[in-house]
Amino acid sequence: MTPAPVPGEAVVLRRSRLLQQWQLVLPLALFFAAFVLGPLALLGYVSLHADVSLEEASLTQYTKFLGDGFNLGVLGATLWLGLKVTLLTLLIGYPLAYLYSVSTSRWQGVLMLLIVLPLLTSAVVRTFAWLVILGRQGIVNELLVAVGLFEMPAKLLYTPAAVVVALAQIELPLMVLPIITVLAGIDPNLRQASLSLGAGSWRTFLRVILPLSAPGVLAGCLLVYASSVSAFVTQTLVGGGQQMFMPFYIYQQAIQANNYPFAAAIAMILLASVLAIVVTVNLLARRMRGVVHG
Amino acid sequence: MQSETPPNDDRSSSEVVLDRVTHRYGGFTAVQDIQLEIRAGEFLALLGPSGCGKTTLLRIIAGLMRQSEGHVTIGGEIVDALPPNERGAGIVFQSYALFPHMTVAANIEYGLRARGMPKAERAGIVERMLALVRMRDHAARYPRQLSGGQQQRVALARTLAVSPKVLLLDEPFGALDKNLRLGMQIEVKRLQRELGITTVMVTHDQEEALGMADRIAVMSEGRIEQLGTPEQIYDRPRSLFVAHFVGTANLFGGRLEREGERFAVQLAAGGRLQLDDPGPCSRPGQVSVSVRPEHLVFVPPADGTINATVEFALPLGPTVVHELALDNGDKVKVTLARTGGHAWLAPGTRTGLAVAPGAPVAVFQA
Ligand SMILES: Nc1ncnc2c1ncn2[C@@H]1O[C@H](COP(=O)(O)OP(=O)(O)OP(=O)(O)O)[C@@H](O)[C@H]1O
Ligand SMILES: [Mg+2]
Repeated sequence: MTPAPVPGEAVVLRRSRLLQQWQLVLPLALFFAAFVLGPLALLGYVSLHADVSLEEASLTQYTKFLGDGFNLGVLGATLWLGLKVTLLTLLIGYPLAYLYSVSTSRWQGVLMLLIVLPLLTSAVVRTFAWLVILGRQGIVNELLVAVGLFEMPAKLLYTPAAVVVALAQIELPLMVLPIITVLAGIDPNLRQASLSLGAGSWRTFLRVILPLSAPGVLAGCLLVYASSVSAFVTQTLVGGGQQMFMPFYIYQQAIQANNYPFAAAIAMILLASVLAIVVTVNLLARRMRGVVHG
Repeated sequence: MQSETPPNDDRSSSEVVLDRVTHRYGGFTAVQDIQLEIRAGEFLALLGPSGCGKTTLLRIIAGLMRQSEGHVTIGGEIVDALPPNERGAGIVFQSYALFPHMTVAANIEYGLRARGMPKAERAGIVERMLALVRMRDHAARYPRQLSGGQQQRVALARTLAVSPKVLLLDEPFGALDKNLRLGMQIEVKRLQRELGITTVMVTHDQEEALGMADRIAVMSEGRIEQLGTPEQIYDRPRSLFVAHFVGTANLFGGRLEREGERFAVQLAAGGRLQLDDPGPCSRPGQVSVSVRPEHLVFVPPADGTINATVEFALPLGPTVVHELALDNGDKVKVTLARTGGHAWLAPGTRTGLAVAPGAPVAVFQA
């Protein structure tokens, strides 16, 4: 009843399907090219000039940045900040995600609301909230003084620790959501098998659940890291300019000093550093997975 | 429902005892008032349709879930309050639940490590288990590099490695194709015999239960309908449910009558069946008579026989299944062994049916 296949029909079919797939991707690809690749290329172009009027092409902006201890210090501080924020979010986020995965569905609803709530308000609003919380007349200080732990309001705002804590709170959903996803995908029978083979809850967690959730942890860490090193508003407002980070440095050079080529070079260096870290961590993880996941 | 085999007097030979076990999920009763004794070294099958509570019962024995009522005893000790790792029951899941990030050897070693066994001793046991399930060549592989049957053997070895007192198997062959299943059934039965380990297997496959188990508990809607040897279950089903669920049954409606010392059933579709010892129902009145397809034979049509017309014959390998229509339209199946050549009746043939001499017939109150 089915007509005999015409030679070449399959090829035509496949080609048209391929075409359809391309057509589906096209709008996104155009958007990506126009608003991501284009500006990036422009940025690279600007950074490769010695002067503000973009007449003399050279690598001086890069050599200037890399040859100066102050600049390298800013880069180091930024990457180090990202690491501290990532570790803190992991420390808070993993237990939270685990709690979510073992909760009944009603509690899961409540927890999910708490987890994504930060995403529903803008980073600027959340940052100002932290200013209110940590200020000299802020909630934390008033509380500590009232309890008698401090005699005088302490300086909490504009400290490196404040930046880390505020960023960790703001980036937390990026850590928790991937881990929740991966925990939900673990066959519950694995836990039960481990228990019935004689392992306790801790061993089961360390030997079975934790290794199997590694991909989610990796995704969460990379997201939080990339996002926190470039969090201009929070770094600047909560940090109060006490310590310079790369995003503010770019802003300062571009807007205040009007040195666009140098600002562009700083941006390219930040981008390259983060990219290098992400790629390295991914490669290491893949090699690890050879050990962990076979 | 009580057992047909006399309850064992010697309590110490009962490895697992379920005493009036009931389990409710919220308001829904999944398992109701189960009374069951499993003897040491016995292979017991829990057989029943989907959703009748087999897995629930198995998980209760394993300690992975706590029953709402009743007690579980393993090896003479009430284990209700014990966590799974202290019960001495090893469970093999239907999905195998092998640890995907560990090799075959590491999977088998897992339970031994958890018990803090020294390394040298562990290696010896892992080696023995690998040999037992014939997986030595694959010790360094990961579960996803194994076929379904191989994964199943590893799951079995992983559970057996910790020498459980009771082996619990939840639909162990459900994921295997037919040929592989037969091979694994033989293998599991061989292992069980060799090790003499008390085993409870959940299945909804009646052939599997009949072939492998020493005793079968047929379950329906959270209760045990009948407990007995495969012969008892197959030849003397105690309820219509069991007759239907285990094997194929032809049902004839009729009236049971006394004929002096003996009995006879006057069938609604015409014909008369002589019975010496009807059961489980022997009270004269309206009854349903259940006869297995392989217990019917063809005889020349006559007045006293059950008369039917052949609708079609299906030669299925070693047997030929005939489907016939009785005069009142009811369908009957008759299975004959295939004895070389074209030995079956052509569609349209009119024939009489009789119960083979000595063949079991079950009578139920209608
Ligand atoms: N967690 C649960 N919550 C509510 N009801 C459940 C739960 N688990 C099982 N049930 C119900 O309890 C009954 C028995 O379930 P169980 O898993 O024991 O069936 P089963 O005999 O193993 O079936 P199958 O052969 O399909 O595996 C089913 O009707 C099922 O819907
Ligand atoms: Mg089940």
